[in-house]
Amino acid sequence: MIVVAPKPKSEPKKFKDEFWKTKDIKISIRDIVEKDGEREVSEEETPIGPTPKPHVTDLRSWDMKLLSRYEPFYAPFCDMCCLCTFGKCDLLNKKGACGINSEAQQARIVLLACNIGTAAHAGHARHLVHHLIDELGEDYPLDLGLNIDIEAPITRTIIGKKPENLADLAETLNYVEEQLSHLLSACHTGQEGSSLDFESKALHSGVMDDLAREVGDLAQIVTLNMPKGDGDAPLVEMGVGTIDSTKPVVLCIGHNVLPGSNVMDYLDETGQEEDFEVCGICCAAIDISRYNDRAKVVGPLSRQLKFIRSGVADVIIVDEQCVRTDVLEEAQNKNTAVIATTDKMCLGLPDMTDEDPDVIVSKLLNKEIEGALILDPEKVGEVSVKVAKILSPEREKLKLLPELDEVQKMAAECTECGWCTRVCPNSKPMMEAVIAARDGDFSGFEKLYLNDVCYSCGRCEQECERELPLMSMLAKVGEKLAKTEKFNIRAGRGPVQDVEIRRVGAPLVLGDIPGVIAIVGCSNYPDGGKEVAEMAKEFLERNYIVVATGCGAMSIGEYLDEEGKTLYEQYTGDFDARGLVNIGSCVSNAHISGACIKIANIFAKKPLEGNFEEIADYILNRVGACGIAWGAYSQKAAAIATGVNRWGIPVVVGPHGSKYRRLYLGRTDKKENWKIKDLRTGKIMDGEPAPEHLIYAAENMEEAIVMTAKLCIRPTDTGKGRQIKLNHYIDLYKRYYGRLPPDIHLFVRNEKDIPITYKKDVKEILEEVGWEPREIPQEPSLMGMDGD
Amino acid sequence: MANERVIPWQPTVIAGPKQALLVTPETAELMIKKAKRPLFILGPLVKEDPLRTYATKIAEKWNLPVVTTADAYKPFYEKGLNPTAYGVVEIVNLLKDPEWQGVDGKGQHDLVIFLGCIYYIGSQGLSSLKHYAPHLKTLTICKFFHSNADASFPNLKDEEWFKYLEKMGEVG
Repeated sequence: MIVVAPKPKSEPKKFKDEFWKTKDIKISIRDIVEKDGEREVSEEETPIGPTPKPHVTDLRSWDMKLLSRYEPFYAPFCDMCCLCTFGKCDLLNKKGACGINSEAQQARIVLLACNIGTAAHAGHARHLVHHLIDELGEDYPLDLGLNIDIEAPITRTIIGKKPENLADLAETLNYVEEQLSHLLSACHTGQEGSSLDFESKALHSGVMDDLAREVGDLAQIVTLNMPKGDGDAPLVEMGVGTIDSTKPVVLCIGHNVLPGSNVMDYLDETGQEEDFEVCGICCAAIDISRYNDRAKVVGPLSRQLKFIRSGVADVIIVDEQCVRTDVLEEAQNKNTAVIATTDKMCLGLPDMTDEDPDVIVSKLLNKEIEGALILDPEKVGEVSVKVAKILSPEREKLKLLPELDEVQKMAAECTECGWCTRVCPNSKPMMEAVIAARDGDFSGFEKLYLNDVCYSCGRCEQECERELPLMSMLAKVGEKLAKTEKFNIRAGRGPVQDVEIRRVGAPLVLGDIPGVIAIVGCSNYPDGGKEVAEMAKEFLERNYIVVATGCGAMSIGEYLDEEGKTLYEQYTGDFDARGLVNIGSCVSNAHISGACIKIANIFAKKPLEGNFEEIADYILNRVGACGIAWGAYSQKAAAIATGVNRWGIPVVVGPHGSKYRRLYLGRTDKKENWKIKDLRTGKIMDGEPAPEHLIYAAENMEEAIVMTAKLCIRPTDTGKGRQIKLNHYIDLYKRYYGRLPPDIHLFVRNEKDIPITYKKDVKEILEEVGWEPREIPQEPSLMGMDGD
Repeated sequence: MANERVIPWQPTVIAGPKQALLVTPETAELMIKKAKRPLFILGPLVKEDPLRTYATKIAEKWNLPVVTTADAYKPFYEKGLNPTAYGVVEIVNLLKDPEWQGVDGKGQHDLVIFLGCIYYIGSQGLSSLKHYAPHLKTLTICKFFHSNADASFPNLKDEEWFKYLEKMGEVG
């Protein structure tokens, strides 16, 4: 019998038509909560703003305001479009066969990248939520403890509802997936034709990514009992030197915590926790160590190939995102067993999910299978431990890397063609290192090894006409250095507590705390990871709040001061001035925009539910936050950056970020672009370029530091706050440029803004340019301007 | 390989069928002579000597207005130039606007000479100008062949490159 759900007798009310979007109407819905069979109406009224569950075009007017101020700057990576069989089409000063022009094509590729990134996070979150509902039930509550009431600021703002349990998280993902399908559809040939509309969709995709990340991290925090906003989360050991390779070693690479957490559980259950080393690379490392602080962090993505080649790992578990796709081949060369664990990455391996664990162990050890695909995380835990235990003593006899004298002999084969250096993404002197090694001088290799100046992408090896194993040679030379690599990182704490927001809300919005610097992203650094730690240190010493996630958070921990201490040991983990806060993994980035949203809500009492534009407008104009994604390389990073941009948070990327093809740059010479409305008086008035850009690529660290300090300036800074911010901007500009910033007059509204230390010098510049004091808006806003 | 000098230094920056014209110091000088509103952009890779001196001499010989990118301002200011500091993406953004009035406020530039920007971000900037700034020409005198420029030096060894730059800065 086919069961059909009864049709409703009347049409459901349409909550998305124009009537309900009228801004002055507030709909109030009382949450009905069912507890112990009794239905009760929740005490709190939840006013719903104009845009709950916005569709692709519902926030378009906000996007267009951002895009008219921060116009897209396109730098094509390719002149051509190769996406359909009309092509290839050369778009250099020409349109393609479908009619698309170069700008629209760049924007289309950016949208595609954002969609890929969003899909990666949404797929990850969906996998987690699906699995956790299976294990724990959909009513499992989202309890973040006593210090966090606003548990899901992004969900509340976008969906318009407080999520209570895992089922609510699944519902949020339904919405994300629906939007994503529309957004991906727009990339098809013959759909969108306007670059600005492509950008608006990319911004929407970014916010969908934000939602997906929030869902993913909340799900894992509440179910796996990860730290819930604890400033004093434990310090976790990090670095190759912390791993005892005499024990069996299980390495997890990727982003999904479930396989790794099950390895830890199995070890605990079988009382073997002291006998094994479980370590991770990339965000899997961060999340496993949030689950269990005995897990060790090898380091960021830049370690991957070097560490696999070192042969330390007996078993490699891969899950999803940013894993080397040749991991199986690389691991096989070292007799390391590989277990793939998600549908995202099956590597051509046989599906052993339903097999008995001991059968899988036996097949892996006897090489009957190349590796195993096991989609049940619990089984992954058991199999990986059993395999590592048997394989480890066998592998001890293996020669994993060439000896140093062999490295020298190999180096003698170099023809000095120079292509290793030419294909290096950073043009690092690999050939010089090889030539020196020929004479027994390994210092060139050492320089490349330290601080991941060479991030071991392996392109040089692919190019070498003598097929020299350059990455293995590097790993060998680095072996003795690796032993001294003993660092630490504070375990990812997850969200910022409401009480912290109450404490820092006022000083941040008024400017007394000069800004929140979010050091995020991957490890595609132009000159090694040390620069990331240097940037963190610079802003910590200057009283900023520094938050970090993912590979960025790891790179910060790889820097030791003269006393051998990492920055995590020197600074507290509180969200406060001079706090260094490891928020967590990639998905935890949601808590950074989340913290800014909470400032608008907790400090400024702005309602969240369905109220995106007002919240983003508040953040753009008042919250001095700026991201630094120094090594951003992935599509996920594109989605994250575009998402935070839509909330009004600027981002500085490293020079490789220019390859994303699009930046959002402001023009200080166009005064009309900076007009704002003072909501207090209703007056449209001249504003200031604060923040000046939304996403900016810096050529080197020095430029990035100065730009980041400048991008923390906001129109609502008090005189004292502005003085503090300008003091840092001038100070840093002077250090790196040797003079006062020539645009300083743009940020001085009246004489009270001038830092005392630089009063005389600044006044001279003001006189030179004919500066006059300006009126300061009380409530600067882009809302209510033309177009609304 | 005979054509190695005109394969982009990082070979994968090849963007499409259009490639830069290969220039020698002589032809580069002809381009500068012909230009009415040239601009010289100096990046952080030439902020140390001897390159700083070569670059300064070229700027002085041809009386070129100078923009520095990243943190290249200080060394060139100390060398006696009077540059304007911009981020490389900022100056490219201004150059692609035909209405921008140039660093001296007298009108948009018609030739932009790049020297010393980091290769791949420089390449992205040149690509931007190739696509969206038909009102100007780009010339790179780095030691690397830049296929996204309108005209470029080939890939050069240091000694050869220094000679090229020295030649362009020689007076008389």
